[in-house]
Amino acid sequence: MPKVKKKRVGFVIDMTPLVDITFLLLTFFMFTAKFKSEAEAEQKFFIERPLASADTSKLPEQDLAIVKIAFADSTKQDTSYYYEMTNEGDWTAVKSGMEGLTPEQVESAQLQVSIETLESLIKRTYRVNPKTSMAIDADRSIRFKWVSDAMDVLSDNKFTKFNYVTKKR
Amino acid sequence: MAGGGSLGGGGSKKRGKSSKRKPKKRVGFVLDMTPLVDITFLLLTFFMFTTTMATPQVMEMKIPPERDVEVEVKESQLLSILIDDKGDVYYYNAQEPAEPIDMKDVRKLAIQENLNQLNELIIVLKVSENVEYGQVVQVLDELNLAEAGIMDEIVNNRGNASFERKRKFTIADFTDDDREKLAEFNGPVEGEE
Repeated sequence: MPKVKKKRVGFVIDMTPLVDITFLLLTFFMFTAKFKSEAEAEQKFFIERPLASADTSKLPEQDLAIVKIAFADSTKQDTSYYYEMTNEGDWTAVKSGMEGLTPEQVESAQLQVSIETLESLIKRTYRVNPKTSMAIDADRSIRFKWVSDAMDVLSDNKFTKFNYVTKKR
Repeated sequence: MAGGGSLGGGGSKKRGKSSKRKPKKRVGFVLDMTPLVDITFLLLTFFMFTTTMATPQVMEMKIPPERDVEVEVKESQLLSILIDDKGDVYYYNAQEPAEPIDMKDVRKLAIQENLNQLNELIIVLKVSENVEYGQVVQVLDELNLAEAGIMDEIVNNRGNASFERKRKFTIADFTDDDREKLAEFNGPVEGEE
């Protein structure tokens, strides 16, 4: 008796391993994802960090104030200081006592400042939270004078230990 | 999932007419996973593109609290490393004339000089105001890497495992003297342009 041929209408692929691996990757990326801070979302410039050899130390998450020095536009003409802090409460406290800030500036998470304003912000930061650690995040092709001025301001205001933000070479 | 092929394998024995329809025996079932996979892939791609893998790292700096305070040191303990406007690196000991040095030799120099005057040598990094910041960090990085080399030499080759390293380092601006020292190097270069 001849075999009855089964008529094929469609076929089923077993997707289980695919789904397994996809879920694995998905959970991995979901847990490692770190979202941009408010200040980073606001900022319009991009900082090309200086390259340094591999180091295990990372930026602290809390009690951190960052002085950013960057080109305000892509023409690399205007350099400016930016100041931001990770502790929301401290940052509000620092800004609330500052004179000459527009209501808009008080709301924003990142301030574009002159060196004088930067100095008073740093002074106030020390008063609000002396445990704050400082970081300088500057573009690698910026003139060193900008960094050196910021360093002078920091050392004048009791922040003699700080970090340069770098990128792994 | 793929076990659906063996349906009704053992049901060959005929029953009475009363039961017209034979109840299908379920061995497995197939679930359509396509929408699930669709959404999972969508989320996966989203998270893959939004995560930044290269998190920034930091380089620690300590600077003396007082500026403009004179500290007396022996000149022979000073090693000055200069970075000029163009990012070229020079060095000199004490009051000797400056000599140009390649970026990749800075580490070797720092190790050598530090081993000659253990814990005594003060490295002064003098940076021109107009040099690019990235260049400065590169030199600082070389000096940081030199520390590992120094410790390695002392612990392994000199057998002094309990050595306590005291690092002396400072960063300063150019002085007129430094500009003078570099003038002879910059002269001919400008002539070529």
